[in-house]
Amino acid sequence: MTREKIFETLNEVFRDVFDDESIVVEEETTADDIEDWDSLEHINLVAAVEQELGVKFTMGQVVTMKNVGEMVDIILEQIGE
Amino acid sequence: MQATFTSFYFLCFYTGILVLYYLFPAKLRWGVLLAASIAYYLLTGNGILILYPLAACLIAHGGMHLMVRIEDSKKRRGVLLAVTAILLGILVLLKYTGFGLLAPLGVSFYTLTILGYVIDVYHCIAQPGKNFLKLALYGLYFPAILSGPVLRYREDGEQFYQPHPFDYRQVTMGLQRMVWGFFKILVISERMSLVVNTVYSDYNSYPGFYIWLATACFAFQLYTNFSGGMDIALGMSQTFGLKLPENFQTPFFSQTISEYWRRWHITLGVWMKEYVFYPLLRTATFTKLGKWGKEKLGKKRGKQLTTFTAMFILWFTVGFWHGGDWKYIIGSGLLHWGYIVVGELMEPLFKKGLEKLRIPAGSRGLQLLRILRTFLLVNIGFVFFRADSVKDALIMLRQAVGVWNPGVIVDGSLFALGLDVIEAVIAVVSLLILWVVSLLQQKQSVRERIESQKLPVRFILWYALLFYTILLGYYGPGYSAVEFIYQGF
Repeated sequence: MTREKIFETLNEVFRDVFDDESIVVEEETTADDIEDWDSLEHINLVAAVEQELGVKFTMGQVVTMKNVGEMVDIILEQIGE
Repeated sequence: MQATFTSFYFLCFYTGILVLYYLFPAKLRWGVLLAASIAYYLLTGNGILILYPLAACLIAHGGMHLMVRIEDSKKRRGVLLAVTAILLGILVLLKYTGFGLLAPLGVSFYTLTILGYVIDVYHCIAQPGKNFLKLALYGLYFPAILSGPVLRYREDGEQFYQPHPFDYRQVTMGLQRMVWGFFKILVISERMSLVVNTVYSDYNSYPGFYIWLATACFAFQLYTNFSGGMDIALGMSQTFGLKLPENFQTPFFSQTISEYWRRWHITLGVWMKEYVFYPLLRTATFTKLGKWGKEKLGKKRGKQLTTFTAMFILWFTVGFWHGGDWKYIIGSGLLHWGYIVVGELMEPLFKKGLEKLRIPAGSRGLQLLRILRTFLLVNIGFVFFRADSVKDALIMLRQAVGVWNPGVIVDGSLFALGLDVIEAVIAVVSLLILWVVSLLQQKQSVRERIESQKLPVRFILWYALLFYTILLGYYGPGYSAVEFIYQGF
């Protein structure tokens, strides 16, 4: 799966989790950019991404990923290019 | 020597350490801090109890190095569970059981600090150091051991061992922050406590408005005491060239309870989120519960079911950490869980109501109302926290609403609670200073603002605060303001 393709999928997941069709995620998107992305929603988001893309984040990754770009890095590492 | 930062001997101790710190070569300065931390522990209490934090560090050190060496994930997990069980077991044993064991200084704080590090090593986001003494400094660091902040090794651990050259600006700014902390504790907190003690120790004589007033005073007593202690701890650290995490961010300006907990005792909240809440939500049980809820109750309600359940456990833990008694479990735990759950469930209703009344969501008046509401809710929690028991708290709350006596505001009765007219004026003026500084602090660091002023302005502001604190501060017995001033000569 290409990086672009993953971003497309993530867009859908984010829109579904946050109930907001206008969300477009980019490399630098962080929790500060999306209103409802607080610590409560973070785990829901991670779980939804895992289910949709068939990946598994470690707890270390869950608490240290800084933006969507880093999330995509981890996904690519797991499923390959 | 008393353990508190405001005791005279502690100040002497700190001054000595500061001088020693910069007399030593930069590479060895962490050693000075370790020696100081051990000396502080030995001098301020029952010295033998230092074995507890040292043992905790030793167990953590061994556990972390084992985890790095072991490849088998089950065995690694076993090591983590064993270390966690031992550290938490000791905490629970010392704090919550009536075994008559003396609890060592700061056990609630250093346990979290050390345990967080061990868990991060397990998750491979932090590395254990080779030198045990360095870990001992991290666990025993004297400015933070008494009441936090809870540290996070992966963010603020390594700096302890780096060489910190003398930096005049850092030292000055650190000292300035300490003065602000002394102002909060000695001038405000100590005054507030007089009113609080009068009413809380004899609440039958002081119903109605007295209880509201005393509880608000307690809110400020606790806030200025705790956050003032943090100003001193972080200020001291700054004079050593160390940057510790902030624990407070003007919490009483919060508009919701969740926001309040992101601004009050921040490092505890972050710890609980990372090491209790997240792992809990990621367990198989909660994943299953989430799936089941989504199918049966729909997306939104299903999500609420899991988060509310996990939050119940989280808030119970937060309350329990404050103390085993139900007054803590309710007052700084489950009550807040209730607030958040009710708030979330009612939110659609509130939204509709506001739309009907045509109040714009961001209006100033609404924000102010929200701030007041949040402060009121937090204060109800403080009644439990401060009262002797849950039963006392409930009686007090009933008397707070049941008795209507606003007349006491005008007839002078309030000046019989421990602060006479002059003292009350000092208290109110000091609270106003705190309020203005907090407002300014929201936009930019007040110390940096002052720094950019001309020398005479800077000089006057800082010395005014210093002398205000020295002259109007309350000191314990045998520690009068006069004595303090004279010992300076």
